[in-house]
Amino acid sequence: MTTFSAPRTALAAVALHGVRRTYGAGASAVRAVDDVSVEFPRGTWTAVMGPSGSGKSTLLHCAAGLERVDAGRVLLGDTDLTTASDDQLTQLRRSRIGFVFQSFNLVGSLTAQQNVALPLRLAGSSPSRSEVRAVLAAVGMADRARHRPRELSGGQQQRVAIARAMVTRPEVLFADEPTGALDSGSARTVLALMRSMVEAGQTIVMVTHDPAAAASADATVFLRDGRVVDRLIGATTRDVADRLVALEG
Amino acid sequence: MLRLSWSSFVERWALFVGALVTVCFGVALVQSSLLVLISAATYQLPADLSVLERARYGEGTAIAITLSALTLAFSAFLAVFIVSSTFAFTVAQRRRDLALLRLVGGSRRQLHRLLVGEAVLLGGLGAALGIPVGLVVMRFQSGLLTMLGFAPPGFAAEWRNWILGVSAGVGIGVALAGVLVAASRAARVQPLEALRDTGESARVMTVGRWVIAGVFAAGAIALVVLAPIGGAGGAPPMAINAALCASVAMSAISPVLVPVVSRLLPSGAGVITGLAGANLRDGVRRSAATAAPLIVLVGLVLGQSVALASFASAGELDQRASTVADLVVEADGPVGPRVAAVAGVAAHSTEVEVPVTVTFTYDDDVDVEGGSGLVVDPVAYARFHPGTDAVAGLGGNAVVAGPGRGAGTPGSSGELRIGDTAAGPLHVVAEVPSRTGGGADLLLPGALVPADLLAQAPSRTFVELLPGADPATVAGALAGIGEVSTLDAWASRDAAARNATSISIFLVVMGLGAAYAVIGVINAGVIGAAARRTEFAVLRSTGLTRMQVVRAALVESLAVTGIGLLLGVGAAAGTFVAVAMSTAAMIGIPTITVPWAFVIAVGVGAVAICGVTSVITTVAGTRGNPVSLLAARE
Repeated sequence: MTTFSAPRTALAAVALHGVRRTYGAGASAVRAVDDVSVEFPRGTWTAVMGPSGSGKSTLLHCAAGLERVDAGRVLLGDTDLTTASDDQLTQLRRSRIGFVFQSFNLVGSLTAQQNVALPLRLAGSSPSRSEVRAVLAAVGMADRARHRPRELSGGQQQRVAIARAMVTRPEVLFADEPTGALDSGSARTVLALMRSMVEAGQTIVMVTHDPAAAASADATVFLRDGRVVDRLIGATTRDVADRLVALEG
Repeated sequence: MLRLSWSSFVERWALFVGALVTVCFGVALVQSSLLVLISAATYQLPADLSVLERARYGEGTAIAITLSALTLAFSAFLAVFIVSSTFAFTVAQRRRDLALLRLVGGSRRQLHRLLVGEAVLLGGLGAALGIPVGLVVMRFQSGLLTMLGFAPPGFAAEWRNWILGVSAGVGIGVALAGVLVAASRAARVQPLEALRDTGESARVMTVGRWVIAGVFAAGAIALVVLAPIGGAGGAPPMAINAALCASVAMSAISPVLVPVVSRLLPSGAGVITGLAGANLRDGVRRSAATAAPLIVLVGLVLGQSVALASFASAGELDQRASTVADLVVEADGPVGPRVAAVAGVAAHSTEVEVPVTVTFTYDDDVDVEGGSGLVVDPVAYARFHPGTDAVAGLGGNAVVAGPGRGAGTPGSSGELRIGDTAAGPLHVVAEVPSRTGGGADLLLPGALVPADLLAQAPSRTFVELLPGADPATVAGALAGIGEVSTLDAWASRDAAARNATSISIFLVVMGLGAAYAVIGVINAGVIGAAARRTEFAVLRSTGLTRMQVVRAALVESLAVTGIGLLLGVGAAAGTFVAVAMSTAAMIGIPTITVPWAFVIAVGVGAVAICGVTSVITTVAGTRGNPVSLLAARE
């Protein structure tokens, strides 16, 4: 078993123990995640990197409870996601987990502020306009609150998506290639925003292809063939890029 | 949730307009048929009508009631079927949106509530639009009934205030019935599906579809097996309903059948055809949703038209076989003595047709039967209609059950009325064999009918010539009495006249139903294309010209139409078998008559409608710069 743990704090925000996830069966079976144990400490930002097909996204989906694991345990704080029912997972997505994706995934028919308010409304509360505006202001989007997604640039849509993820004050924010569809200027804005969130105590787990994005994180976990093969802490863009080239070679 | 329903409704209006149109026309048809039915059932004939007119319109009103009831049942069936298939399709097209809601914390119950909320919204709006449209349809239906002679001039269906509640209930009811299964299914969507861009991640062929297919296929088989023992009255509806059941079964398993049949598309016929074939198989849900209303349209129209034409042919053959005569004279009143006086006539049988009503009284029940009576001379009748020796029992107030069998069986007694005139008691003493094409319900002795009524009533006189007499000469001499025809010419004219009612019924019921099914076909085309803008943009950015994209979509649409037509014919095949078996049981010869001109018109019409819909929607869907559309998506 490959175990690369950060120095163990009181209780990790997310912890995976011996997690396996296989797609297909028989000769065509692919082990996307192969016996991985890793912990993501509270208040830190961890990047997950690796060559294409290394199992990064599957690892993120398993950690967030979006995908069932074949073996092992996934803990969000002290909650075991592997045994949670669909209703319990829904509750967790409303209150303790936030998501940001490469393709933004905003609801096209709703304005920015309606998108941000959506998770709270689904949870049964009716957020005040000022509450929602405050979250949008935190990502620099207060003046675009009444715009629909198609009226916003990619970077602006991603900031709204981050605001939507943060409005429930989740314990962990899972981000899958959050800068993947953005130009470098917008990417820098989004990364700076995420850094300020971590400074305020937020835990972030982020899958990325971009060494510059990974270098913004506190730590980088490297995957190959579904296994954790390395971990860098406080690395520069060059360190991350060199390590990635070595892995792909 | 209601606000989310409303905003997604506003955003994806193109998708919802299709569903709205189906609800609107469903409500309009059901409302109109219901109002016409009630108006016909409560209609008081004008007081100034003569006895015979009164009887004729009385009979017509009975047909109008049956007809409206049939249209009502058929509209309700189509409304539920087409609205369900449209709603299921619109829900499936939004699978990714729904998964996204799950991703941000939406529960299954909330998704279910969202979709049901939309259905209530659409049902309510559809009903609001359908109520005024229904008034137009009602005027049309009333006019049609008058035009076809089932209702007297001046008949108009009446508005009733309570229909507002019924129509609103129908709109919301069919929308809910249509969405419930789709909503339960969509609520099970996994949040991860929001991250996949495939769109078609769900299995299309579900257990529910297999169950529906199984139940309706079993129903179709049962009807095919039972039709031959149903007799002249039971066989036609059973044969026609076999196609109805089979087409629902075929629609349910179309996700399995469409890809199989699509493999028949010529491979290696060029990149456009190859692309169309691949799209056809990949977009199974879209292909199946387009084929479903086509299957029902073709199955029903073909099944019903072939059944009616075949039973009419069988009736004509039967009529021809059960009558022996050289000439037929059609005139008014008992013209027998005048025919007998013509040189060259060896024998004749004059049969005068009068409208009759018989009131049978049983221990605790009164049964009133209406129909047609034929005043005959028993000896002459038996001579011209072999096998009807039982007619010899006629005389006094003893009557015989006729080949149409509509009023009484041997042993029953009742009170006879000819038109509005009481004609005293009668006893049914015997029966002649029944005939496929129908005919008189009662055979009556001349003494039972007042002479003045008899003189006005239409008659036909079968004539046998003396050996060596020249038919043309005798016909010329008979022409002064009435219209003279050969037996063959009369038999086919008589069959056509009997069939005219069935054809009118077919036109009213099927015409409206077919128009509704056509709306369903267009809808599926529009909804399918609405979600394909990105796919079209990808094709254009790959190097296809706009025309090539339009052509590929057209080839795909024509292939789906072909498959729909083929499966529709397959559904109608159940009716063909039932008709062949039933006619064989009735007249000894399996009879299938296909009204080719009509069938070809339906096929060409379906291809044209689907083709035009495809071209228009693809041209609309490829407007704008493909690269900017793809970039905007990122």
